[in-house]
Amino acid sequence: MDVLLQALLNGILIGGILICLTVGFQLTFGVLHVIDFAVGGWVMLGGYAAYWASRLLGLDPFISVFFIFVVFAGIGCALGPLIYHVRTSRYARPDLMALAFTFGLFIMMRGGALWLWSFDSRSVDSVLSGASLSVGPVTIPLLRLSAFGMALLLGLGLFVLLYRTRFGMAVRAVAQNRDHAGLMGVDVKRVSAYVYGIYTGITASAGVLLATIYSVNPEVGVRYTLFAFFVAVLAGLGSVGGVLVAGLILGLVESLVGTYVGTRYSLLVVFATLYLVLLISPKGILRRGI
Amino acid sequence: MVSKPSRRRLVATGLALVAGTAALTALPAFIDPYSLRIVTGVLMWAGLACAWNIVGGYAGYISFGHSAFFGIGAYVTGILMQSGVGMPFLATLPLGILVAVGVAAAIGGPTMRLRGAYFAIATWAFAEMLMQLATVLDITGGTGGLSLPAYLNEFFFYYTMLVVALAVYLGAWYLLERTRFGYRLKALRDHEPAAEAVGIHTTRVKVQAFALSAGITSLFGSIYAYWVTFIDPRSVMGPEITDQMVVMVLLGGLGTVWGPALGATVLWVTNRYIWSEFGDTAIYLPILGLIIALIVLFLPNGLISLLPGGRRGHGVLTRLLRKL
Amino acid sequence: MPASRDARPQPRSPLVVEGAVKHFGGVTAVDGVGLEVASREVVGVIGPNGSGKSTLFNLIAGMLALDEGRVWLDGREVTGLPAWRIARAGLARTFQIPSLFDNISVRDNLLAAAVEGDWKGAPGRAGEVLEMLEIGHVADNLASELSGGQQKLLEFGRVCMRDPSVILLDEATAGVHPKIRRIMLEAIRRVREAGATFLVIEHDMEMVRETCDRIVVMDAGRVVVEGSFDEIADNREVRRAYLGRRE
Repeated sequence: MDVLLQALLNGILIGGILICLTVGFQLTFGVLHVIDFAVGGWVMLGGYAAYWASRLLGLDPFISVFFIFVVFAGIGCALGPLIYHVRTSRYARPDLMALAFTFGLFIMMRGGALWLWSFDSRSVDSVLSGASLSVGPVTIPLLRLSAFGMALLLGLGLFVLLYRTRFGMAVRAVAQNRDHAGLMGVDVKRVSAYVYGIYTGITASAGVLLATIYSVNPEVGVRYTLFAFFVAVLAGLGSVGGVLVAGLILGLVESLVGTYVGTRYSLLVVFATLYLVLLISPKGILRRGI
Repeated sequence: MVSKPSRRRLVATGLALVAGTAALTALPAFIDPYSLRIVTGVLMWAGLACAWNIVGGYAGYISFGHSAFFGIGAYVTGILMQSGVGMPFLATLPLGILVAVGVAAAIGGPTMRLRGAYFAIATWAFAEMLMQLATVLDITGGTGGLSLPAYLNEFFFYYTMLVVALAVYLGAWYLLERTRFGYRLKALRDHEPAAEAVGIHTTRVKVQAFALSAGITSLFGSIYAYWVTFIDPRSVMGPEITDQMVVMVLLGGLGTVWGPALGATVLWVTNRYIWSEFGDTAIYLPILGLIIALIVLFLPNGLISLLPGGRRGHGVLTRLLRKL
Repeated sequence: MPASRDARPQPRSPLVVEGAVKHFGGVTAVDGVGLEVASREVVGVIGPNGSGKSTLFNLIAGMLALDEGRVWLDGREVTGLPAWRIARAGLARTFQIPSLFDNISVRDNLLAAAVEGDWKGAPGRAGEVLEMLEIGHVADNLASELSGGQQKLLEFGRVCMRDPSVILLDEATAGVHPKIRRIMLEAIRRVREAGATFLVIEHDMEMVRETCDRIVVMDAGRVVVEGSFDEIADNREVRRAYLGRRE
């Protein structure tokens, strides 16, 4: 019973970070109609950024995460117009070309990290590492709790931006229909670039949190791309709201399989579930638009 | 109906093939073993890229999971050649193809109902799933991998790859450019509902293409396993296998017969050059990624579109020859 | 651009189109159309199906690129600008089949129209528009849940949110319930009194007679006649091009 409680708690805490990891990805799909294969790459690079910020500048990841958000948002804003260009190009299949483009970005990130930093796993330490709270039978690691809180904060920030601001209204209009948003005077290209920037910023921040909990190496990107796909497919591609539930589901699945079946099977189960969900209900189980 | 190519063009193509085959057959006599290995690699990757192109380029379904079929071939051959079973190499080839075609036919129906990105994600998930499976099973040796009986005859592998690659290209050229099957595939790539409206059984055609592609991929996996004598989940099912197939086809020219061969040659020679220059291929991966991004941005029809008269790559070789 | 072209004084009318041409493959959909709409005028564009009316609208709104010709909006040349810039310059349009942001609420549809305009005043304005168009009771429904007529009203409501100087209406009242038609006509009247200029495509001759100051008849991509409703109704060209084919 205690083991179950602990597993559920861990699942929920990680699930919160997975929500943060996927929410920007969904927004990008909703607005740019691009499946970003590089999503795990942004997570991985965010983790490395936190590692180097801690190594070279002595910054705690919970402080550097804000700077990392800004830096990666900047990179994303610069990259956004390229992706928009490919997606709206006159190629025979712009959707597949955009997919191939982000696939190329992802290989570049993974390969670049391997080349620069080799296979070694790097861990990122925070002042919170190691500390924990005991509540009845379960132990709550402070680090995971704070990371969970930070992830929720970022996610909440995105929701406020989307549903309470003028920019958010423009984003939602573009997500609904690019052409008609243009007829309302919205500069779709610029909004798309900003959306890509917000996505890269928030995803890299999720990477910071994940790197402090686990560690980071060049190969983690593949795993996180998978996680993002899993949560996104379960939620319905492009649905921002559905992510809240789907992220928690993945966190719980991973934690329960890890506890009761064995961690070496957890990826197998996740991949198999993703494949089956796609076959059974490709439109997602929790479909609802932005 | 399929138009008949002009006699001149057929003769020119035939001559080119005969000359090319003769040159490739005689090649081992003139180069050192190291270079021979590289050319063997080029042949293998050219064949793999061609296989991927059947689904990715002609049917318009971007598969990110072809490494699964490469791995199936490699593991079928690897397992059957273990000392306990002791099957001869050649006997394992059809079995590997059979398993891959069976798997492809089984998953093809439901998976190919998914379009575009959904299909890409599904195939990717499927391949990663198989790789995870290979790491936890006992029969595959898990992460420890499998050793095959060594047969260190470079000429054997060179000629095997040559025969298979030539057969694959000739078959693909005939099937995709000269038969109804090719037209059906292109029709469903360009507009699936329209293809259905003219009476094409799209599901069957897609699954046939997928199974064909899987079978070829598996065949190369089998030969590769025997060639390198050691396999593990990463080396024969890892994402790099698919990555390379995709990049080679994009680089050469998506949906063209000879584009994949061109892309494979350029890329594999680059790969080996980097290996010999830097001692490892770490930098190869970022270059691969960069090439994809640049191709998408600046050369969406691939290198083959740069060749004279090679706009869509149809009969490029013939046109090239006529220029000479 | 040749100097001689720029020597022409900038037109003052809210909307001026000069020599608009658009080819689709071998077909010339719009073949040298010129028109000028004066301030607060309502000009009706009529003509048989395929005469190029909708293409002309798409050219003016920047959704299609002109092959030849120029367009001015409030004295400012907008030829070749992207649709969003033309919208910001003061143009709004509706479609024959209403194109709304389907999966957000009716109120959000209105707010989305003000995103490049007076954002602070938008909620209050949206309330007024909802009331004027009598769709306040469905304000929190998704746009896709509205009836066809209500969707047309909402689409016009989005136009009202933006305070445009020139409005293109594509069959604003086609096939709607008489009650909704009445609401729409009243709303159009009010927006016009507030200073807007209209160009409308219309098949409903009653509506044309009631609302249009002037009528332009198109056939095969050209303007064949223009004039008042009575002049047009008597014209032989029009009977041949338009009425003749209908009856």
